[in-house]
Amino acid sequence: MSPRPGFVLPVERSTPPVLFWNGEGLLLESLPAERSRVIYPPDPLEPLVDPVEAVRDALLHPLGGCDPLPTLLRPDMRLTIAFDDVSLPLPPMQAPDNRQLVIEEVLDMAAQAGVDDVVIIAALSLHRRMTEAELRHALGQRIYEAFAPSGHLLQHDAEDQEALAFIGKTDQGEEVEISRRAAESDLLVYVNINLVPMDGGHKSVATGLASYRSVRHHHNPATMLASRSFMDMHHSELHSSNWRMGRLIRESGVKVFQIETTLNTNTFPQQFAFLQKREWEWRVRDRASFVAASRGLSVLGDRAKRAILHSIRAPHQMTSVQAGEVEAVHEATLANVFAQQLVRVEGQTDILTIGLPYIGPYNVDSIMNPILVAVMSLGYFFNMYRGRPVVREGGVVIVRHPTPWAFHAGHHPSYIDFFEEVLAETTDPVQVVKYEEAYATDPWYRQLYRKGHAYHGVHPFYMWYWCAHALDHLGAVIVVGGDRRAVRRLGFKAASTLEDALEMAEDVVGREPTITHMRVPPLVMADVE
Amino acid sequence: MKALVFERSIPRIAASRLATLAAGSGRGVSMAPLRLTDIETPRLPGEGWVEVAPLLSGICGSDLSLLDGTGSRHFEPYMSFPFVPGHEIVGTLSSAGGVAIPGRSPLQDGERVVVEPVLQCAARGLDPKCESCAAGDTGLCLSTTHGHIEPGLMTGYCKSTGGGWSAAPLVAHASQLHAIPAGMDDTDAVIVEPAACAVHGALLAKVQEGENVAVVGAGTLGLLTIAAVRELTPVGSILAGAKYPHQKRFAVELGADEAGGREELARAVRRKSHSHLVGGDVVSGADVVFDCVASRGSILQSLSLLRPRGRLVLVGMPARMSLDFPSVWHRELSITGSYTYGVEDVPRGRVRTFELAIELAGRLKLGRLVTAAYPLERYEEAVMHAATAGSRGAVKIVFNPQARPSRPARSGGNMAAGRDKAGAGSSGGSLHAEVAAIVPGKGEVR
Amino acid sequence: MDSVVSPAFRLAASPDVVGAEVLDLVDEPVILVANHSSHLDTPLLLSVLPRAMRDRTCVAAAADYFFDRTWKAHLFAFSLGAIPLERRKANRSSAELAVRLVREGWNLLVFPEGGRTPDGWMQEMRGGAAYVAEHTGRPVVPAYLSGTYAMLPKGGQGLRRGSVRVLFGRPLEHRQGEDARRLADRIFAEVAKLADESQSDWWAAARRAGSDTTPTPLGPDASEWRRAWSLPAASRPPATRVCRSREGEGVERRSAGRSPWKD
Repeated sequence: MSPRPGFVLPVERSTPPVLFWNGEGLLLESLPAERSRVIYPPDPLEPLVDPVEAVRDALLHPLGGCDPLPTLLRPDMRLTIAFDDVSLPLPPMQAPDNRQLVIEEVLDMAAQAGVDDVVIIAALSLHRRMTEAELRHALGQRIYEAFAPSGHLLQHDAEDQEALAFIGKTDQGEEVEISRRAAESDLLVYVNINLVPMDGGHKSVATGLASYRSVRHHHNPATMLASRSFMDMHHSELHSSNWRMGRLIRESGVKVFQIETTLNTNTFPQQFAFLQKREWEWRVRDRASFVAASRGLSVLGDRAKRAILHSIRAPHQMTSVQAGEVEAVHEATLANVFAQQLVRVEGQTDILTIGLPYIGPYNVDSIMNPILVAVMSLGYFFNMYRGRPVVREGGVVIVRHPTPWAFHAGHHPSYIDFFEEVLAETTDPVQVVKYEEAYATDPWYRQLYRKGHAYHGVHPFYMWYWCAHALDHLGAVIVVGGDRRAVRRLGFKAASTLEDALEMAEDVVGREPTITHMRVPPLVMADVE
Repeated sequence: MKALVFERSIPRIAASRLATLAAGSGRGVSMAPLRLTDIETPRLPGEGWVEVAPLLSGICGSDLSLLDGTGSRHFEPYMSFPFVPGHEIVGTLSSAGGVAIPGRSPLQDGERVVVEPVLQCAARGLDPKCESCAAGDTGLCLSTTHGHIEPGLMTGYCKSTGGGWSAAPLVAHASQLHAIPAGMDDTDAVIVEPAACAVHGALLAKVQEGENVAVVGAGTLGLLTIAAVRELTPVGSILAGAKYPHQKRFAVELGADEAGGREELARAVRRKSHSHLVGGDVVSGADVVFDCVASRGSILQSLSLLRPRGRLVLVGMPARMSLDFPSVWHRELSITGSYTYGVEDVPRGRVRTFELAIELAGRLKLGRLVTAAYPLERYEEAVMHAATAGSRGAVKIVFNPQARPSRPARSGGNMAAGRDKAGAGSSGGSLHAEVAAIVPGKGEVR
Repeated sequence: MDSVVSPAFRLAASPDVVGAEVLDLVDEPVILVANHSSHLDTPLLLSVLPRAMRDRTCVAAAADYFFDRTWKAHLFAFSLGAIPLERRKANRSSAELAVRLVREGWNLLVFPEGGRTPDGWMQEMRGGAAYVAEHTGRPVVPAYLSGTYAMLPKGGQGLRRGSVRVLFGRPLEHRQGEDARRLADRIFAEVAKLADESQSDWWAAARRAGSDTTPTPLGPDASEWRRAWSLPAASRPPATRVCRSREGEGVERRSAGRSPWKD
């Protein structure tokens, strides 16, 4: 029996209130009847029955005219295995992680072939380094113990000039510079978890293993304004640029064996099962869980709430795995991601409402600071569309999140300065660019990125560029229940209740506006006609 | 005529000190040996002395430490009791007697002047002058306890001269007088003395082209230092440590590139100097830090912001304190005190600091920093207001000794009392109106 | 020792002992020889000896680790009956001391690899045990310990849950005219056979030993990762930890139903 597809519910008078995430809290909100609708994600797809066997099968029968992995392995070769970092999946999945399942299979084949020179690299790009616990979780103990003590488990360092190789320039003049070890290997195996349609393809290597010099060619306002959306690679300049780079890498002789895996949207464990059920189908037990969770979280302090929520391990399960040539693999992957996440939505709306959850790609085990609130709503959820944005041009996005003026000093040091210095002067992504170089080359941020667990100095700029399309498209952004000072610093409007926010939005979009609520997570991608 | 008089009373000083320690600065004023009383105009000590009737006279940080009883005993031999405090003075000449400021036309009765309060060799009738005065560094005069007047570093600490917190004229020597331009507001003029301190500090640091400067503290001195550094030196960036919103706003208005709290300042300095942090201190940092608070906390903060061989200038008046000094040794920092004023080397030659300050105060309308003017009768409130200026949205509090106790005093007093109840209020337009209402020389009340 | 270490061991590791009957049959004193992969080895082995035998056993321990501080020297000498043995160089005085102790009737426990394994695989054995056997004429009882590396490897920072096995082999007598080197080879072969048995069964191991195809307990001659990757399951780190290491921040979960460990 195939699971239920996604669904757009028109809100009527009898419709029960809808669940909103509110950062580290949960609440129910009533949406105006007759002119609101709620987009529900499809139910989780059935997982692979035997993922280990499926991985082996994918490695033995690769796509795109690629030879089976064992035939590519020789004893005297240099083999590099790169994998997606801690930003995926969300929330982190219960063990065993996809990366562990895949890499163990790859290593079994490499051991069989007698490959001595194997290095495993976390493809961090400009993200923070993973902690030992995170690496152990993603790769499993066996891989960690076999590679980490001898120094053969590396984390990509985009600031280590010695460890970077300049590949060349694309026909558009984009510089391509990636990990030297990856570039000089006889085979580069890249292991993905494709949580959203943006992930994977040529972006894996061209971004994940690249340096600032290279990444800046597509992480900029112009590219992001031309990516509509960056979740839809066929209309995304972000992807076009990465594809040019990826092809250049291939032409330069780097042999990439791409492995992509998809997950179902089984996002929350049993005790939070109500989060992925539709409200009118809640049973007594679900109501009780909701009350217990929302009340419980509301009385806890920030640290306690974070500790509880960030310990959630998602029961995600693998729905597909494909291996071989990058582009063929990615095409198959996208079909699988869309099969899980795509929901048909008729026409655009005046107002899009989103309840932001406690976690995003950049605050695993961390604080969702105001800049991340912006990027989660305007970068990620706004862009979860194919065709046209869910909200019309000049429309309003209403976000529910407490948006505290709080930052994780270890993970996001340059975010603090970006918020205090740059956003104090301008919130225009194009204007912001003038500060970029100073942040990108700041030696202290560089030190914290390389030796600590900090995002690269330039990262908050990328977050802001990520919002560029939405900022350009929207008439206003309203944050409900946020710290007013922080919300204003972001250039958004602050409202204390959803009703107030809807009133304020009417000043922008007119009377009796239509409203669409994105009921996330689990993730949903709107296919807007 | 009425004046506030400070006496030497060890028990009362001790009592005010206790009250201050228990309840905070300004709380000890009712116990301090300060009282409102009738005084005679002081006798003219000799040749070249004139009478000046104060129009406005500021309450300075050093006055507060005197009233709080927390001042260092270092200054005791340099004062003579009882005295009328008040050394930030703008006033009118009431008996010019044809005395001439050197290099100027003779002064006329009714002309407005600011008083350069330091009682140096010339005022004391000493000839030959001490080395410092001979070199123009009158602030460093070696003879402030000698001559035909009682000991006293400056007007406002000397028994013989009177001071600014007085309706009766004080006496000043021609060498202490600076005429002010006719169009200059009294509020701008009363800022000249602290502005001169700021100008002196700014120039003492010899800020080089493009150097990065941090200013710690954004009270009157801090804000004026920001203005002086911006206007008179080839500074690169100025980062200001300011606690309250109105201070941040003034800091940026007067020339700071950024103004923020303690941690924001540290981050801004780190950013500007592209520095690393070790144990919370920047390893590089600002070239010069002006500490305009000079408390233990602010000095430690300032030291933590400096680059190796950086210069710390103490513009604020420090008291007795114990400090962790290894960074001074390890990073070869220099610490310089900056006391009052004298003569400065500027591109156009050697100019009295006061002349530079008068220009600065007039050009930048520094009177905007004057938040409220009180009649002498309400001195307890005035001192409280000055002691809690930052948290109450205020900067400089002054006395208006000529305010008649009846209508102006009540009007000003009521408004001040209203502000008391309101606690920390906003500054700006309404406060200016309050000042206008009670300051002669400004607006229609006059 | 008896009251603390062995109950603790039975609780945390519940050792599975194979072939202990040889201990009842052999004449004491004997020289016990075992592979060495963890600080747990000495207390583990002692805890599975019969009480009477244990009380007459002393341990040849590395002088540079156990006897480098006076307090340690006293602690180990008293609690384990350990004697210091220099492991860096063949040291006549310590060998003579061992010979003298055996002649006086003490059983001697020796780890001939000269130190704990760095990677879970056995190392070459040195000749000390054979020397003592040659000079005293006493039998050598070979033993193989499995599972202690996974619980507490060299350089490991936290004790992890695991299960351990102790296998005892047939006693080896010094033959007339046999030199120490030859005896050492026979001892190593016996330990290797026990290692094989620990992963398969007695009969399979015996047949391989008979056809001279016992897999080497020294591991493949390959890169570090392949040596680590080909470790027998019992020597691999387990998925769950008992105690957290200092860096360990996350809590590991054992997956239900989908074990990644394929043996």
